[in-house]
Amino acid sequence: MSIVLLSILKSLALIILLLTGFAYLTYYERKLLARFHVRRGPNRAGPFGLLQPIADAVKAIFKEEIVPGHVDKLIYIVAPALSLIPALVIFAVIPIAPDLRLGGFTLQFHVADINVGLLYLAAIASVATYGIILGGWSSNNNYALLGSLRTAAQMISYELPFGLLLAAIILTTNIGREAGTLSLIEILNQPRPWWLWLWLWLAFPMFFITMLAESNRSPFDLPETENELIAGFQVEYGGIKFALFFMAEYISMITGSAIMATLFFGGWRGPFADPGTWYGPIVGFGWFFLKVVALLFVYIWVRASVPRIRYDQLLQFCWKVLTPLSIGYLVLTALIVVFVG
Amino acid sequence: MTDAVAEQSLPFANAVPGAVLAADAAGMVVDRKKLIEFALHLRNHAGFDYLSSLTAVDYLGFEGRTAADRFEVVYHLFDTKKGGDGVVLKVRLPENDPQAPSLVRVYPGADLQEREAYDLFGITFTGHPRLRRIFLWDGFHGHPMRKDWKEAYYEEEHKPFGSRWPVGNHKWAEDRVPWGDNVSFPKGWDPATFQPAPPPLPTIHEPPWADENHIATERIIINMGPQHPSTHGVFRMIVALDGETVVGLEPECGYLHRNHEKIGERNTWLGNIPFTDRLDYLSSMSNNLGYVLAVEQLMGDKGKPPERAEYLRVIMAEMTRIANHTWAIGFLLNDLGAFFTPALYNIEERELLLDLFEAAAGSRMMCNYMRFGGVVRDVDEDWLTRARDIIFNRLERKIDEFDTYLTGNEILMARCVGVGYLSAADAIALSACGPQLRGSGVAYDLRRARPYSIYDRFKFDVISDDGCDVYARYKVRLGEIRESIKILKQALDDLPGGPIFNGKPGYVTRVEKGEAYGAVEGPKGELGFYVVSDGSDNPWRYHVRAPSYINLNTLGPMSIGYKIADAIVALGGIDIVLGETDR
Amino acid sequence: MTSADYLPILILILIAAPFAGIAILLPSVLGPKNPNRMKQEAIESGMIPFADARRRFPVQYYMVAVLFIIFDIEVIFLFPWAVSLNQLKIFGLIEMGVFLGILLIGYLYVWKKGAFEWE
Repeated sequence: MSIVLLSILKSLALIILLLTGFAYLTYYERKLLARFHVRRGPNRAGPFGLLQPIADAVKAIFKEEIVPGHVDKLIYIVAPALSLIPALVIFAVIPIAPDLRLGGFTLQFHVADINVGLLYLAAIASVATYGIILGGWSSNNNYALLGSLRTAAQMISYELPFGLLLAAIILTTNIGREAGTLSLIEILNQPRPWWLWLWLWLAFPMFFITMLAESNRSPFDLPETENELIAGFQVEYGGIKFALFFMAEYISMITGSAIMATLFFGGWRGPFADPGTWYGPIVGFGWFFLKVVALLFVYIWVRASVPRIRYDQLLQFCWKVLTPLSIGYLVLTALIVVFVG
Repeated sequence: MTDAVAEQSLPFANAVPGAVLAADAAGMVVDRKKLIEFALHLRNHAGFDYLSSLTAVDYLGFEGRTAADRFEVVYHLFDTKKGGDGVVLKVRLPENDPQAPSLVRVYPGADLQEREAYDLFGITFTGHPRLRRIFLWDGFHGHPMRKDWKEAYYEEEHKPFGSRWPVGNHKWAEDRVPWGDNVSFPKGWDPATFQPAPPPLPTIHEPPWADENHIATERIIINMGPQHPSTHGVFRMIVALDGETVVGLEPECGYLHRNHEKIGERNTWLGNIPFTDRLDYLSSMSNNLGYVLAVEQLMGDKGKPPERAEYLRVIMAEMTRIANHTWAIGFLLNDLGAFFTPALYNIEERELLLDLFEAAAGSRMMCNYMRFGGVVRDVDEDWLTRARDIIFNRLERKIDEFDTYLTGNEILMARCVGVGYLSAADAIALSACGPQLRGSGVAYDLRRARPYSIYDRFKFDVISDDGCDVYARYKVRLGEIRESIKILKQALDDLPGGPIFNGKPGYVTRVEKGEAYGAVEGPKGELGFYVVSDGSDNPWRYHVRAPSYINLNTLGPMSIGYKIADAIVALGGIDIVLGETDR
Repeated sequence: MTSADYLPILILILIAAPFAGIAILLPSVLGPKNPNRMKQEAIESGMIPFADARRRFPVQYYMVAVLFIIFDIEVIFLFPWAVSLNQLKIFGLIEMGVFLGILLIGYLYVWKKGAFEWE
C-alpha cells in the first residue's frame, strides 16, 4: 500500500511544482519580454513584481463566470480541464533528479517508471489537442471554430516529424547496449559516446521546432493569432477557464523543455549530480532546473524576435521540409546504429 | 491667371462638344450629360489618369446661386506621369434633382468618395454599383452636410457661439436642450420597434478553379472589427472566407465619424487648425500644413509666410513623416505577429521626435503649430542643437539597424512578398496615394509633382518600388525615412533667421471669396483640403481628401484571393488611421 | 514490468482531475453574477454574428486529417522496430527500408497531387 501513498505524495508534489512553475513562468516571460522591449515589466506587486502571478490568479478566481447562451454548455465547461489534465499528467515519466538512497529505502524523483515512457509522451501530447478542439467547437463562434480547426490540423501535422524524431532517438538508445529502450530513465543511464551527442544535437533544431508547434507557441501560435482570429479557440473563454487554457499552454512549454533537456542535454546529469549521495538529488535537480529554464528562455526569445508565419506556410513547412528531413535523419540514424554502433 | 488657365483648358474643353459650359480659374463647369464622355477623354487622351478628390458643395443661399444650381460636385484630376496642375471639373445639380453620373467606370477610385458624397449630401450617382451610406447608419435621417440640416443640440450657424463668447456663460448643450426638439427621425420611425437592416454581404468572388468538379464548400462570413486587435481602430471588414481564403471583402467605416467637415464649417478659419490635428492624429504637423496651404491660396500676400517659417514648416512636416513611418513599420510587423519588439524599437525613435514637437509646439501629438502666414512659435538654439543631434547623429544609424534586422528577415519576406498585389495601373485607377501608390512603381510624389512650400529647393529622390506588394510598400517607407533625413539635414543647415509670422497675429482671418485646393504629400499620401470661402470668417465648405480613406479603395482588390492573414497584412500595409478615415 | 507500474499514473490523473474541476467551479462560488443579454452574445468583434458556427467545415482541413491518418499511424510501427534494431541488425534495416520505401512512394504521390498546397 505504501506505493499508493508514495504516489499520492509524489503526484501532489508534482502538481504543486508544475503550478508554481507555471506561475513563475508567466512572470519570467513577462519580465524577459519587457527586457527585450526595453521596458521594465511587472514591478508593482511585491518586490520586483514577484507577487504578480499570485495577483493574477486571485483576479482570475474572483472574476464573474460567464457561460454564453449559444455554447454547448457541458463541453464548453469541461474543455479547459481536458486541456489542463494531460499537461499535468505528461510530466509523470520525466525524471527530475537522481535517486536518493536512505538506508534501504530508495526515493525516485519521478512519478512513474513505465517501460514505454516515450510512447506515453507522444500519446498524452496528442490527447491535449482534444481540449483545444472541443473548446473551440463548443464555443459556437466563428473565430473559435477556425481557431480549433487550425489547431487540429497544425498539431496533428507536427506530430509526424515529432514521432519520426522520437523514433530516431529511440534508435540511438541501441548504441552500446543489448536493446533500445523507451524509458526516459533508461535513456539517461545510457552512456553516450561524444559523436552520438553531436549527432543528436543535429536533430535538436528540428525537434525544437516541432515542440514550438505542438505547444502552439510563437511563431506557430496560429490557433490563437490575435491579429486574425482575436484569440482563436479561446475567444469565448474568460476568467479561470481562460486561465486553465493558459496554464495548459505554459505547462506544456515546461514539459517540452523538460523533454528536450532529458533527451538532448542529459536531464539532471551534470557535475556533482552523483546518484546515491545525499547531495546528488539537490545538485541534479539544480542542473535539470537550469537546463529547463535555459530552454524556456529560447521559447521566449523566439517569441520576442520573429513574426508569425502564415497558416498554409506552417503546414507546408511541416509536410515539405520538416517531414522529409526527419525521415532522412531517421534513415541515417538507423544506418549509424547498425554499422557504427 | 484666370485667362491662362482658361486658355490652357481650352484644348480639352473643345474635345467633347458641348461638355464644358463655362471655365474660369477655379475649374470647368461640365454638363452632367456629357460628364462621362468628357472624363473618358481627359483620362485617355489628355493624360489626366488620376482622380484625386471628388466632393460636393451645397451652395444654398450662396451669393449668386439659385435652386437650379444648388449642388456642385467637384472633381480634381491630375496627371501622374507629367505632374503639374490638374484640372478641376464641376457639375452643377439642381435642388430637386441632385443626380450626377457615377464616374466609377472611368475612375474606379471614385467608389468610396461618391458614396461619401451620397451619404453626406444626398447626391445620387447613377450607375454606381453599391451606392449606400458609408459613414452614417442606414436609418439616419437627412444628409448632414446640406446647409439646411441642423444637428441635434444645434446652437448657431457659426462659431464663436453667443452662449460662450464673449460673455462666457457656458452651459452644456445637453442641459439646454434635453433630448432636443431638433433631433429628427425619419417619418414613421419608432425607436422601440426599429430593427437595423442586416449589413450587406460581400460580393463573393469565385476562385478561378471553381468549376463543376470543384467541391462547393460553405463560406464563412465573419466580421473583422470594429473591435478587433488589428484593424487599427474601429474599422470593420465583412469578410467571406472559403477555408482560409478570402473570397469577398466589404469595408465598413464610420464608427469614428463625427462629421469633421460640418464642424469645420461651424468653426472659424483659424479654429480649424487645431481641428485638423485630430484627422490623422499621428501626423498632425502635416495636416496643419495642408490646411494652411489651402487657405493661404485665398489670402493673397498676407498669407505669404516668411522664409524662416517656410523652413520650419518643412522641418516639422518631414519629422512627422519619419515619426509616422517608424510607427507604420512597427505596427506592420505587429500585424505580422511579431510581439511588439520591432514596434517598440521603432516607437523609441518616434518619441524622440515627439519630444522635439513638444518643445516647439507645446504638445506631442496635437501640435497646432502652423498659422496662416507663418508658424506659431519660434524654435531656439537649444532646440536646434537637439534636433541636429537626432537627425545627424542618430536616426540614420537607427534606420540602418531596422534595415539590417527587418528587411531580410525570412518570415517577413515570406509573409510580405507577393502579398496584397496591386498593379501600377490599378493603383492609379483606384486613386491610391502615398506609399501605397509608390509601392506599385508609380513615382508620384506631390513634393516633386506639384512642389508646394519650398520643396523645390531641396535635393531628394522620390522613392518608388515596383514590387507592387506589401514588401514594396514597406521598403518605400524605409526609403522615405532616409529621404526625409536628407531633406531635414539640408533644411537645418540652411535655416535662415528672421520673423516667423507675416503680419500681426489675430483671431480673425480675412479670406477672400473663392475656392482653393491645397494638397501636401502627407506621410500616408496625398492629403488635400478643398476650401470654399464666401468671404466671411468661416469656411463655406471645408473638405478633406483623406489619404487613408481613399486608400481603402484598394483593400478589396488587394485581399481577395489571398489568405485571411494576408488581408490583415494588406490592411497594415495601407497604414490607415481611423481619425482620418471616418472623419 | 506489470500493470502496477501504471498505478502511479492513474493516481496522478485522479489527483489532477479534481484540481481542474475545483478550479472551474471556484469562480461560480466566489465571483459575482450579473448576467445580461450582451454578455451572452457570441463575440465577433463587437457585431452580431451573421450565422452561428454549426456548419460544415471547410474541406481543406479534412485533407490534413486524412494525410495524418495515412502517415502518423505508420510512425507508430517504427517504435518497436527502433527499440529492437540491435537484435534485428541488417535484416531489420532492410525490412524497414522496404516499409519506408512504400511509404515514401505514397508521400511523393501525395506531394505530386498537390495535397500539401492550400487552396
